[in-house]
Amino acid sequence: MLVLLIKEYGKRSLQFTSMNKLIIFTISILLSVAALSEEPSISNIDVYPFSDPQKEELFYSLIFELRCPKCQSSNLSGSNSPISNDLKREVYELVNEGKSAQQIEAHLIERYGNFIVYNPPIEPATLVLWYGPLFLLFLSLVIIFYIRRKK
Amino acid sequence: MNKIIDIAPLIIFVALILVLLTFLSEKEDQLESVLIDSTFPEFSIASLKDPKRNLSKKDISELPALINVWATWCIACRIEHPFLMDLKKNSVLKIYGLNYKDEREKALDLLKRDGDPYEFSIYDFDGRLAIDLGVYGAPETFFIDENGVIRERHVGVIDKRVWEEKFAIYLDE
Repeated sequence: MLVLLIKEYGKRSLQFTSMNKLIIFTISILLSVAALSEEPSISNIDVYPFSDPQKEELFYSLIFELRCPKCQSSNLSGSNSPISNDLKREVYELVNEGKSAQQIEAHLIERYGNFIVYNPPIEPATLVLWYGPLFLLFLSLVIIFYIRRKK
Repeated sequence: MNKIIDIAPLIIFVALILVLLTFLSEKEDQLESVLIDSTFPEFSIASLKDPKRNLSKKDISELPALINVWATWCIACRIEHPFLMDLKKNSVLKIYGLNYKDEREKALDLLKRDGDPYEFSIYDFDGRLAIDLGVYGAPETFFIDENGVIRERHVGVIDKRVWEEKFAIYLDE
């Protein structure tokens, strides 16, 4: 959609004047900053001792990828809510039992549903989520193609 | 045809905004209940009233039953408390409590003061059974049928309307 807008904008002004370039540049910067701030953060400093560095790595990657069910847009590691702390303990225990990332994610999805993971499995209910953007991109390309051919 | 193509981006944009608005503005931030139709999880946790008594799934013996997640720090739980007392008085259905991440003293005081609608309360201080039930807040209420299968779950205050819409139907079966 944005591509379309920029194209249309460029077409109307016939050429990319320096003013136009500046505007497009500013928009890009704003968008990239917005994208950066969406990154989930690590702010918690609970201590989870590990004897095995591989398990430690798995633990931290999991609590980074798993979502806090109570807070709407935070991962487990970025949240200090009681439920997040309980789930971190649960993940910690499962990691120490030697469970794999897939097993732990499945364990939590069984209880909390797909909401708990940031990359839900591809299934009928999540198709729009996974392929919706691609479909929109395809649609925009088709429309751009038609408009260009007309001219 | 060309005209349609010309305004297609606008139409798609408006459609997208409408779809996002409807889905994102849903007030109830409720998660899906994946545990419906699965059996109630096993547990082994102390009783609220008697720390020495260990409770397990076998102790939830009178089925069908309600499992109500509550805590003294949960304001909404106090709102539904009178309804649960009513239910205990007027329904054959037994209610079992899951006291969630609470202080024992405070919880016992509340039951003494406002009445105890529960057959017993499980003292889930660590929230372990709560995780197995996919609980993410209080109050939450589960309905278990006579085979020990979770049939219904309600997140939030349970009142007459919720009771009739979500739970009463199972008792007529």
